[in-house]
Amino acid sequence: MSTLRQAAANRLRAWVMRRHGRDSLPISIHRRRIYILPTRFGAMLAAILCAMLIAGLNYNSNLALGFAFLMSSMAVVIMHHCNRNLQRLSVDVTPEVDAFAGREATFEFELRNGSNLDRRDIEVRCLTAAGMGSVAAQESATVEVIAPVTQRGVTRVKQFELRTRYPFGWFYAWTYVQGLITIYVAPSPAGTRTLPSAGAKGTGSHSEARGDEDFSGLRAYEPGVPLKHMAWKVLARGGEAAVRSYSSLAAQPEWLEWSSVDGMDLEARLSQLCLWVLESDAAQRPYGLRIPGREIAPSGGAAHRFACLRALAAFGAGESEETGSR
Amino acid sequence: MITDRVSYEQLLGISGCLALALLAHVTTLPIWVPIMAVACGLIRLGLARSGRNAPRRGVLIAVAALTMPLLFLRFHTFNGLVAGTALLSVTAGLKLLETKTQRDIYIITLIIYFVSLAALLEGDSFWLLAYLIGVCWLTTATLLRATSSGPAPGWRRSLRYGGRVLAQALPLALVFWLLFPRFASPLWQIPNDSKTAASGLSDSMSPGDITQLALSDEVAFRVRFDSVAPPAPERYWRGPVLDYFDGHTWTRSPSGFGAPPQQPQGVAYHYTVMMEPHQHRWLFMLDWPSSWNQPRAELSNDYTLMQPEPLSRPVDVVGTSYTRVQYPQPLRAGTRARELRQPRDRNPRTQQLARELRSAHSDDMELVNAVLAMFRQQPFYYTLNPPKLSDDSVDEFLFDTKRGFCGHYASAFAALMRAAGIPARVVTGYQGGTLNPYGDYWILRQSDAHAWTEVWIDGRGWTRIDPTAAIAPERVERGLADAVSAEDPLASRWQRNTPWFAGTRLRLDLLREIWRERILDFNQDSQRRLLELLRIPEPDGQKLVMVLGTAMALALAWLTWQIHRGLAPPSKDVAARTYARLCTKLAAAGIARKVHEGAEAYAMRVAQQRPDLAGTVTALCRHYSSLRYAAPSERITLGQFQAGVRAFRPKGL
Repeated sequence: MSTLRQAAANRLRAWVMRRHGRDSLPISIHRRRIYILPTRFGAMLAAILCAMLIAGLNYNSNLALGFAFLMSSMAVVIMHHCNRNLQRLSVDVTPEVDAFAGREATFEFELRNGSNLDRRDIEVRCLTAAGMGSVAAQESATVEVIAPVTQRGVTRVKQFELRTRYPFGWFYAWTYVQGLITIYVAPSPAGTRTLPSAGAKGTGSHSEARGDEDFSGLRAYEPGVPLKHMAWKVLARGGEAAVRSYSSLAAQPEWLEWSSVDGMDLEARLSQLCLWVLESDAAQRPYGLRIPGREIAPSGGAAHRFACLRALAAFGAGESEETGSR
Repeated sequence: MITDRVSYEQLLGISGCLALALLAHVTTLPIWVPIMAVACGLIRLGLARSGRNAPRRGVLIAVAALTMPLLFLRFHTFNGLVAGTALLSVTAGLKLLETKTQRDIYIITLIIYFVSLAALLEGDSFWLLAYLIGVCWLTTATLLRATSSGPAPGWRRSLRYGGRVLAQALPLALVFWLLFPRFASPLWQIPNDSKTAASGLSDSMSPGDITQLALSDEVAFRVRFDSVAPPAPERYWRGPVLDYFDGHTWTRSPSGFGAPPQQPQGVAYHYTVMMEPHQHRWLFMLDWPSSWNQPRAELSNDYTLMQPEPLSRPVDVVGTSYTRVQYPQPLRAGTRARELRQPRDRNPRTQQLARELRSAHSDDMELVNAVLAMFRQQPFYYTLNPPKLSDDSVDEFLFDTKRGFCGHYASAFAALMRAAGIPARVVTGYQGGTLNPYGDYWILRQSDAHAWTEVWIDGRGWTRIDPTAAIAPERVERGLADAVSAEDPLASRWQRNTPWFAGTRLRLDLLREIWRERILDFNQDSQRRLLELLRIPEPDGQKLVMVLGTAMALALAWLTWQIHRGLAPPSKDVAARTYARLCTKLAAAGIARKVHEGAEAYAMRVAQQRPDLAGTVTALCRHYSSLRYAAPSERITLGQFQAGVRAFRPKGL
């Protein structure tokens, strides 16, 4: 039963993909792409309603018939309400998500409700996970979907699902959105080796590593220092040529090299590099990454860290594709 | 979510709803059934309050094992309305006891819906319907609270939502109700397990029986005459005829069908009797019934209209009666013997009196008149509170107490006639009635129940003799209240003597009657009339279904509009709305307005891209700007702007 259902859902997803093609986000959900079916309780309700109708007809009781019709009409109204709960809801998603293999990826979906009606209990399903949220009238809300990821690599999710059982859980309405989400799954940070520079430089240079570009003082000019770091004002006052010293720049850039992790298998090497990236980043010292086919110049900061992690994620493996929610 | 554990709040809500739904069944179910269901709810609530979960499965099985056999002992079946309802109620109670997750709450709501419907199969009043719709409203609100994830919406909000859902469902339900094809006969035979007590007259009469009825204001039936109503002395509504007398009690002997022919004479009255269910087989007709519209009903050999099953639903009988009839055939010997039977050893004084009368009057009619004269001349009283009579009731009444109600007089008179050798029998039924001037129909209440006699006079046939009329003619002329006004309980005397109260009561009765006629008795004929009202020629089933389809489509369209109205609230600003329409038209032509673009800038861009539209668009955009910003004297009216936009039809590229 469940495999049959799964197969039907897969076919529907593929068909929706062909029908609507890629969506440009944010997208406002049109009623023609909302599908609706009764839940198990909806089916039970339908059975009860049939029994009510038959009882009313059989006993020739106009009151019972009227009551049965009222209840049936109520079910129809609820069906419309369920469908309406998704209509014209505007959806957006962070297009790129970073994660580590073996941990969780957090997708952030933004739902915007431009109507005068509250939207309650909207479930967003992406990969194998789901998140639930409500959006009040004329407001927006963020729904987080936290999905476990196991495989290092770059995954492109092409489709995600919005679903609602509100109100009463008699029906569930759903829609597929063909929005592209790229998940960079970096290798799980692990390894036993120390940073290549740790032995050579000792801890002295680390003491200076405090903040990204914190001004830490002046030091004597050395050839080769970038011109923008010259302390021109000091020179203008007639002092000696001095250089503004920045703690992070003061440290020697660390090259995280492919060759430093030889003798291990591929994933272990990547895990070790990943750990070093994180350690260097935490230590706030500049680092560069050099792996076959990719070289990232030494730098620091969040953007740099992501660039490195993504490079590790993308290493070797091609991009895999996921159709979406399950 | 479905698997969430239920909270105390949710349990309280659903138990309350179930209790309210069962309240509608309190009169029909064995009392322990609702009590058991409510007790289950209370136990579960107590457990939830102290933070505990549902009792173990073993406990439930034990409770079920205890109650199910009890139910079966009581009903001997689970197939039938009351038995089925009892089973459902017990199931709901057990379900409540084992409620763990919201799935259980769903199932209980479904049971509540069905139990509510079952109540409507038994009762038919407007108030019951209103009450049950109220219960379902509450249940729906409870369901909303139970199924919302996150913090449950407040009661007031939930109730408002439930009310809105019901209101939106109403038009569609109405269309269905009006146009859904009704069947003339049920889909299959209903097991008639109605345990409702029979009401009104029964098939036996002891002295004092009818006195009980006289105190009841319950409506027995209503009558609408096609033209004029007969005068009060002719308004005898014929019910069961009692022809077996044991000295104390008159009983209806199992009579067959095939009444000896009657030739109608006198005035014909056409009327409709709207019977309330009384759980007996007879139908009340004006004396003497001649034709009726119930194909399965038949005249018994003593001229009472009988139908094959007890009357358990209201029914309308259209009939014709004649005030006088003639009998072309003499009384059959068998019938004569039957109508003369009486116990020889009972009521000796009455038998003695009969012999004396017989020897004084050889003519039957003379003898009858002599007895009536005796009732008039001797100190006989018509009273609601006669003394109790022993076994020889007729002797005691005629010679000792001399105080009695219509039953006493009819019983004594018929016994006296039989003793004198005149075939006689007691006829029970209703007499008189109250005209409801607001609705032009007659109400016959149980207090109008009456007993009179019929004697066979050779050459005249069965002749109605009402001895009560001899004692208390006002009973026949004006009704019971006038005849016994001094004995009436104070409250009912006050009711009768207060005109506005009596008036209100009659108006309410009219509403009840309209409810019955328009709603309860809505059937194929009513649907046909409805279609005729819609000017559909020769309405039939097929046309009905077509109309149903059309009306359903209309109702659904309304529903869709109603439901989706809130999605994009139309701007109250007419100018802005009209401008938006202009933008939509231009977008369709290929030039969509950018979000940041003002009206003038947009017009300029349009003018560049589509020189052919430049003049109109520039003018319209300028009008819009002036409507927004210019003084009223310098601008065109809103109507002109609207007309301009309406007329604007850009062709695509």
